[in-house]
Parts: sequence; structure tokens; C-alpha cells
Amino acid sequence: MPRSCQLPSPRSQWNGSDRVDKRIFSHLNWGLIGCVLALFLVGVSNLYSASGTRLEDGITMSDFYQRQLIWGCGGMLLMLIAMCVDYRKLRNFAWIFYLFSLVLLLLVPVAGKTVYGAKRWLSLGFMSIQPSELAKLAVLVLAARVLANDGLPLGWKDFIKVLLIGLVPCALVVLQPDLGTTLLILFILGGMILFHGIKGYVLKTCLVAAPCAALFMWFVGMHDYQRQRILSFLNPDNDPRGAGYHILQSRIAIGSGEIWGKGFGEGTQSQLRFLPERHSDFAVAVFGEEWGFVGCVALVTLFCLFLLAIFSTAAQAKDRFGSMLVVGVFFYFFWQIFINMGMVIGLMPVVGVPLPFISYGGSAMLVNFTLLGIVLSVSMRRFMFKG
Amino acid sequence: MPLFRQMRIHFTLSEKMTNNTQNTDQEDLQRRPFQEKPRHPQKIQVDNEGYQPPRTGIFFLQALICLFFFIFVVRFWYLQVHRGPEFTRQAQENRLRTERIFAPRGRILDAAGRVLADNRTAFGLSLVREDCPDIPATLAQISAWFDVPIEDVRDKYQQDKAKIKPFEPLLMITDIDFERVARIESEIHAWPGLEIVVRTKRSYPENELFSHVLGYVGEANEQEMSADPALAMGDLVGKAGLEFMLEKDLRGNKGLYDVEVDAHARILGKSLREEPRGGNEATLAIDRDLQQAAWNALNGEAGCIVVMEADTGRLRALVTAPAYDNNLFAGGISKRDWEALRTDKRFPLQNRVIQSAYPPGSVWKLLMSAMFLEHGVSPRDTVYCPGYARLGKQIFRCWKKGGHGTMNMESSLINSCDVYYYIMADRMGIDKIEKFAKECGFGNLTGIELPHERTGLVPSRAWKKKRFNRPWVRGDTFNISIGQGSTLVTPVQMASYVSALLNGGKLLKPQLLDNMPPEVRKSIPCKDTTLQFVVNAMRKTASNGTARVVGRKDADMGGKTGTAQVVKLKLGANERRLKTSEMEYAQRDHAWIATWGKKDGKTYVVVVMVEHGGGGSRVAGPVAKKVYEHLFGPDNGIPPKVKVDAAQLPAAQPTQPVERI
Repeated sequence: MPRSCQLPSPRSQWNGSDRVDKRIFSHLNWGLIGCVLALFLVGVSNLYSASGTRLEDGITMSDFYQRQLIWGCGGMLLMLIAMCVDYRKLRNFAWIFYLFSLVLLLLVPVAGKTVYGAKRWLSLGFMSIQPSELAKLAVLVLAARVLANDGLPLGWKDFIKVLLIGLVPCALVVLQPDLGTTLLILFILGGMILFHGIKGYVLKTCLVAAPCAALFMWFVGMHDYQRQRILSFLNPDNDPRGAGYHILQSRIAIGSGEIWGKGFGEGTQSQLRFLPERHSDFAVAVFGEEWGFVGCVALVTLFCLFLLAIFSTAAQAKDRFGSMLVVGVFFYFFWQIFINMGMVIGLMPVVGVPLPFISYGGSAMLVNFTLLGIVLSVSMRRFMFKG
Repeated sequence: MPLFRQMRIHFTLSEKMTNNTQNTDQEDLQRRPFQEKPRHPQKIQVDNEGYQPPRTGIFFLQALICLFFFIFVVRFWYLQVHRGPEFTRQAQENRLRTERIFAPRGRILDAAGRVLADNRTAFGLSLVREDCPDIPATLAQISAWFDVPIEDVRDKYQQDKAKIKPFEPLLMITDIDFERVARIESEIHAWPGLEIVVRTKRSYPENELFSHVLGYVGEANEQEMSADPALAMGDLVGKAGLEFMLEKDLRGNKGLYDVEVDAHARILGKSLREEPRGGNEATLAIDRDLQQAAWNALNGEAGCIVVMEADTGRLRALVTAPAYDNNLFAGGISKRDWEALRTDKRFPLQNRVIQSAYPPGSVWKLLMSAMFLEHGVSPRDTVYCPGYARLGKQIFRCWKKGGHGTMNMESSLINSCDVYYYIMADRMGIDKIEKFAKECGFGNLTGIELPHERTGLVPSRAWKKKRFNRPWVRGDTFNISIGQGSTLVTPVQMASYVSALLNGGKLLKPQLLDNMPPEVRKSIPCKDTTLQFVVNAMRKTASNGTARVVGRKDADMGGKTGTAQVVKLKLGANERRLKTSEMEYAQRDHAWIATWGKKDGKTYVVVVMVEHGGGGSRVAGPVAKKVYEHLFGPDNGIPPKVKVDAAQLPAAQPTQPVERI
């Protein structure tokens, strides 16, 4: 960080906020960028190891890590673009974006395509998109906008208003069925509301109501396979070949890493394909097997630093909208990390949530980097004055 | 914490100042040394006036991050340090694999307990890809051990690679002889991934004698596996014949081993998860020796023989020739063998007893005469046979050129006079014939426990309309009356009908399995007197009619021959019928004989069909005679006991007045 910098000319000052000013680059949150780059590199190298399969003719490599690299570069480009755009413009697009994603969600049952028994995808011909991914972002942005205008702390009226923003897309997503995304949306919203502040009696009522809602979901709203996952999470040894297989194998993979790990590319659980989904949801188990406790603590620390970098941006944001926006992004990452890693180490049921920057996934990569771009945009403009 | 970006006071300061200062101050400010910062500490307050993040929120986020760090580090410590050695052992050793234990398939025995389908232990060499460090060298070694060209070994490997998981044994060589097994066993340790496997293989000791009855087994295909979850890749299932029909019964249940394998594929432990349960044995009603005798009697001709117990419907022999060796299929038939069988001009894959429907020729008269009797024709009614019958401009010939003279029902059966049936059938009309024939089981499945049985055909007005879009004409009825035209009958249908004549009209399901109670499908619509009349006429035909070749003194015998024309022979004025030997094989007549024999309280029905054999009495008759020689022994010339005769009396009585005419 340069200790001082050029002063801007008054004319070009803050009215043209979409103009990229050289100065604001010096406000770049280099810590955040460093964390992301480190995570990304860890992810790609881990994918490289997970791509190897020991077959009869030696080790065969699939090209997951190469594709991840390409997606990552694309993501960084999007990050740069998002960074240069003033985040305050998002406020104007929040409703449009939200309604647009609702329309897409409504299209899914009509025109969506079915993969593994769930209708989640919309085919655009050349590519497929998952409208629930967009809905996540739309809820995040709109909630940030609404919360930014609400009084402190949140009363019943405002609380229900914000809750509704999340519940409408959630209802559509849970029907697809996609429990992971639904929970993620609700958790992000919940995190933002808690950050914003909520009146004590509202919170208490919610704390009573949430378990009731959960029980209701369990008996009415859930599919058998989802119930099965939760049950097998509670007792994986019950059914070692069926639903508990993922959990058991990932626990063995991580546990067998012991303190120092088996070494890069030496994980037998992943190389011999005992570990399912080792490119996507269970990628961190490969990491744990090969790098051991030391590596895992380093990774957790890296994630914590990453989250802290986002957090500090939220704390320093110039306006409440920016702050709420960053808090939303914070929770977007936080819950994914928490749910995914919790699932892999057996603290959470198996829910299909990827680990940001570590799991393979092209569209997730693009979304993650874009969100970071927004965070950087907020971070860069934290000293600007209102126009 | 380096990532906590502290408010950079010097920044705030300069921005604030930008707001207040004029353009001209810009350079000045730039030059202003950094140390000035502490001089305006109060301006910081102004900067932060815009927005203050909620304190509880900030605390909340910080707490979350700390909690996250704490929980995960503890959990990783628990898994990797505390329980690490335990998981390491699990990863190294507890690589669970399940191994199937093949349940022996139920054997198939003949009526006397002789084995017709057996399970034989076969040694094979299999390869587990995942445990094999050098595939090409291993394949070369296999090629060297068994003197098989390396290309063949490679082809086999490439072909099956996709179907079998890398940690499952891929069977490379089947059926290794014992000597070789012993030799390879001593060298195999140098070749990780290779192992000798013991499999049971289906074998059919009687080869082609029972091929159509037993059918064969083969590896389950995709379709069968998706239809039956109990099947897995490489399992044997019945594909034809009884192996197919009795699949559920013969198969039994597989057992399962849980196999723990270490990182070097050494088997550390096996635990039985599920005990295998062998399939049930099946005992046939067929007698192996009789089958062999019948087979020999056919003497290489294409054709078939049904031997049925008239009272129970049990099949004592079911021969169809030519046949194939079903052992060829047991180990997976080679493409070359399969092509050869499939394209053979003599159709060895066809089970003629149930799948070939032939025109019955004069054997059909057994049905027609019963039908006439049931529809009011008196046995005394006569028809004069001049050797032909006229229908408008058409002439329908009798097989005997000079004609039979005056014929009543019995003499028409004994001499197989065609003209009698032309005239009588014309009186009845096709509708009655069709109805009666169908009620006697023709045009329907007999329900025999073999797949792909055919129904044959009883022509009708509706059928002709549909098939040729032409109305029925009287000439068609003439043709049908003597079992020509479009009438098609399977030998097993004929055997079933003749049995019904003998057992009081019960149309029985032909039983392949022993110890099954007789299953009456329906009763043929004939009075007892009718049945007795036809049976008696057959008896006379066998003693001094066209079927006398089967006649014998020591048993009560009956029969009816048939010679079914394959090509309609239009004879010119001066043409004569060609002798069989002068005709092309495919144009020769089919030879039929339907017979019954009673001796020592047993009643058998023997139906013989020789494809393109020529005359029924000359070709099919001797075959049937040989079958009876096996059933009853050589004719000893001693007439049957009085007891049997007495039983025949009521049957003989109604025919007496006819005889006097």
C-alpha cells in the first residue's frame, strides 16, 4: 500500500463514479486478493492430484485442473470488470435483477431439463444455467438494498418484508428439489439480518419458530433421499455401502492423512477411487488425505483470513448498502465453506454445496470471482464522499 | 492482524482536504510531507460520520469466524491426529470388496434319474486390472502359457474391459485343463493381478440328443439384467428350452463374500455375508434311452417324433432332428459356430415338434371323421370314389388313381380315401370344420413348457378374407378336408389330439416334467362312441390299412398315415406323379404317421413327422415301428391278454354294424 497518493482533480471527483480513477486502485484490498489467489492455487493443485486415477496402465489424468485454471482466469476477468463498476449502481438494478431471476425460476418447471431426478437447469442451447444460482445473488443484492433502508434494529414489519424476499425464491428452489441452495439462501439472509440487527423479541420468536419449521420440513417437505442423507450423517456406520458411503470414505481419507499427510499425489483413497465426488464436493478430503493435519489447519487459516478480509471491508464500507452487500457476500462464502467442509469432515449432512475455489465448477468460479469483484469495488471506494 | 485494514488516516485526511481546498492547493498538498497527519486528528471524526456498521453485527461476524476456526481445527485434530492411526489402517486394509459365490444351477435329469444337464467345475484365468502393474507383459505371458496368439488375447481383453470394473476379475481364459492349472499355479505369484478362478460350467452330457428340450444357458445380457436385479454381469441364465422356462427354479440364489483387500490386493479376510442356495433339480418325463432310440430311428432325416402318454400327457420322448450341440453355447458360442448354425439349410435351431407347423395331410382325417360323426353323419353313409371329385370345372383327385369304389366312413379312414372327405366336408361347410378343429386344440398353443411354441393354422373365412382378401370358396373346403391347403399343424398338437381320442376326450397339456399331475386344458366335443369309432378305425388301419407297418401281434395298435404335399401338384393329362427320389428335396412330401399302442396297461401315442420324407406309410411308419420296438420290445407274437381285450370291447362294438356293410 502506498503511503500517500495523488490527490484527485476536483472536477473528476465523485460525480463520475463509474469512471475508473487511477487512485482508487491504490485502495485495493491486496490482502483479500492475496488470499483468493492462494486459495485458487491450492484448489487447482489439489484438483491436479484428484484428477489422477491409478489404472492398469499407470496414472491417468483427467483435465479437471486445466479447465479449472481456464475458468479461474475467466473469473478474474469478471472480477476486474465488477471491481471497476461502482457498486452503488447495483442498488438500481436490485429489483430488476430479482424479478428477472424469479422469472427464470418460474421457467424451470416448464422448460427445465431434468438431471439426476431434479429439474434445476435451463438450457440456453449453447450452455445451461442454473437459475437458483442467480436467485442466490439476486436475494443477496435486494436484501442488502432493503436492509440498508430499514430502521435499526429490525422490527416485525421490516423483518417479514426481508424474509419474504428470500422465501419466494426459496419456495421455487426447494420444489426443484434443491435443498442445498434453499438452505444457503435462507442462511445468507439470516446472517445479513443478524448483522443488521434485529429486535430481541423478533429474534426470540424466530428461535422458537425455526425448529418447528424444520420439523415440519422433515415430515412433509423432504424427499426420501434427503431424509436418508441426514439419517446416514447421524450414523454413517449403519449403512456403509449405501448413503453412508460418502461420509465414511471421506472420513477415512481425511483421517488417514494424519499429521503430515501422505504427500501430494499419494492419496490412496482418491487414487483408487474409494472417494466419491473427489473433484467436486469432496475435494477437500483429497487435500486432507495428502496434506494432513498441518495442511488442513493452514487451509482453515487461509479461509479465515479470506473471510476476515471480506469482513473488514464490510466494517469499513462507506455506506450501509455497500456494507450490507459485503456482509451478504461474506455469508455467501462463509456458509458454503462451513457446510461443505462440515459435510466432508462429518459435521454436516451430505448436501450438494461446493467449496469455493477448491471444488471444481466453472460457473461457481465465475460467480465467486464476480462477488469478490463487488467486494473489491466496495473496498476501493470506501473513502469516497457522496456525490 | 495484517488483514484488518486500519483506517488510513493519511488517506482520509487528503480526501477530506480535497473537498475543502482549491485546485491550486493540489500541488501544495502533494508536496506536503506525511508527518502532517497527526496535526489534524479531529478530521477523522468528520470522515466517519457517514456510516457506522452495527456493533453487534461486527461482533457477530468476528465470533462466527473464530467459531469456524476453532470448530474445524478441533475436528481436524480429532480426525487426523486423535483417530488418525485408526483411519490409516482402515484406508490401508479395509478396502471392502464383495465377491459373489456362484450357486450351483439345478441339474436336469431324465425320468430314470440320468443326468441331462450338469454342472462341471471349470478352471479359468482371470485378471484384476487394478492389481496388475504391467498389462501388456501380462497379456503376453497369458499368450505364452496357453499358446494363444497375442492378438486374440488382446482382443478379448479390449472387448471385455469396458464391461468389468477395474477391481473385478476379468476372465481371460476359460476351461483350463488340470495339468495346466497345476503348472500355472506355480508361476502365477510372479504375476500380480492374475488368478486362477473356479467357475461352474453347464454341461450337457447327451449333446445334441436333448438340445431342443433343454435349450442352453448363456451370460445374461443388458436386457435380462435390467429386468432382474438379482442378475449381475457374467451370470448364466437360460436362453432357450427348459433352461429358459425353468430359469427361476433352476437358478438358486447367489451368495456374497465381503472381502477385505489391502493396498497390494492381498486378501486379508473373507466373511460370508450371504450363503448361496443351489437351484432346484428338474426331472423330466422323458426317458433317455427312448429318446436315443427315437433319434436313431429317424436315421438322420429332418423331422421329429413325439412320444406321449395318452392318459397323463407326459412326454416320454421329444426328438427333433437335425439338432445342435448345446455345449457349444455353455461357454459362450463363437461367432463362427453361431453363423454356421443360423445359416444351416436344415435349420438345426428349429424345434420342429413345437415350432414347425406342417400341413397334416391324411392324418387330418382323424379329426374330420370325428367331426362328421358329431354332426350327424352316419358311419353307414357311403360315397362312391371314382378316383376324383368334380367341383364345377375343377377336378379334385383321390390319391388312388383308379378310385376306391364305394366307401363308408371306416373304410375311407382305413384306405385314406380323399373323395369321401371332399364330399362330406362340402356338406358340413368350413365354419363347422373350423369350430371343431379349434375345439380339438388345433390353431392353439398346447401350453408345453418350451418357449416360442407356434399355434399352427386352422383356416377360416375370416382368415382368408384378412390374409388374401378373397372370399372362401368350396374348393378351399375340399383342400382343408384332406389336411392340405393352408391347414398347418404342429406334431405336438397332433399327439395331444390323438391322446384325447384315447383318454376319453381330455385334451391334456403336454408335460415335460415328471411328477406333474395331468393338466386338462379342455375336452374335445366328441361323444364316447365317436372316440371309440375313430380309435377302432385306427386299429384296423394298423392291422390291415395304410398304417399296417406299425401293426404288431403282441400289442393293441392303431395308426393313421399322412402324406402332405408341399407344392401343389398340378398334373397334366398324361403326367404321372413323380417318385419321391425324383423330386427336389424341398418339394418332396412330408411324411406323417400318428399312432397309438397299448401294452401292459400303458397307452402311448407316437407321432412321427419326417420332413420331405415322401409317403407316410413308407417313410414315417418304419420310424414309428422302431419306437414301439423300444417301448414294447420286439414283437413276440403273443397276442395281448384278455384283460386288455375286454377293455377294448365297448370300443369295438359300435363298429361292428359298419363292418357288415
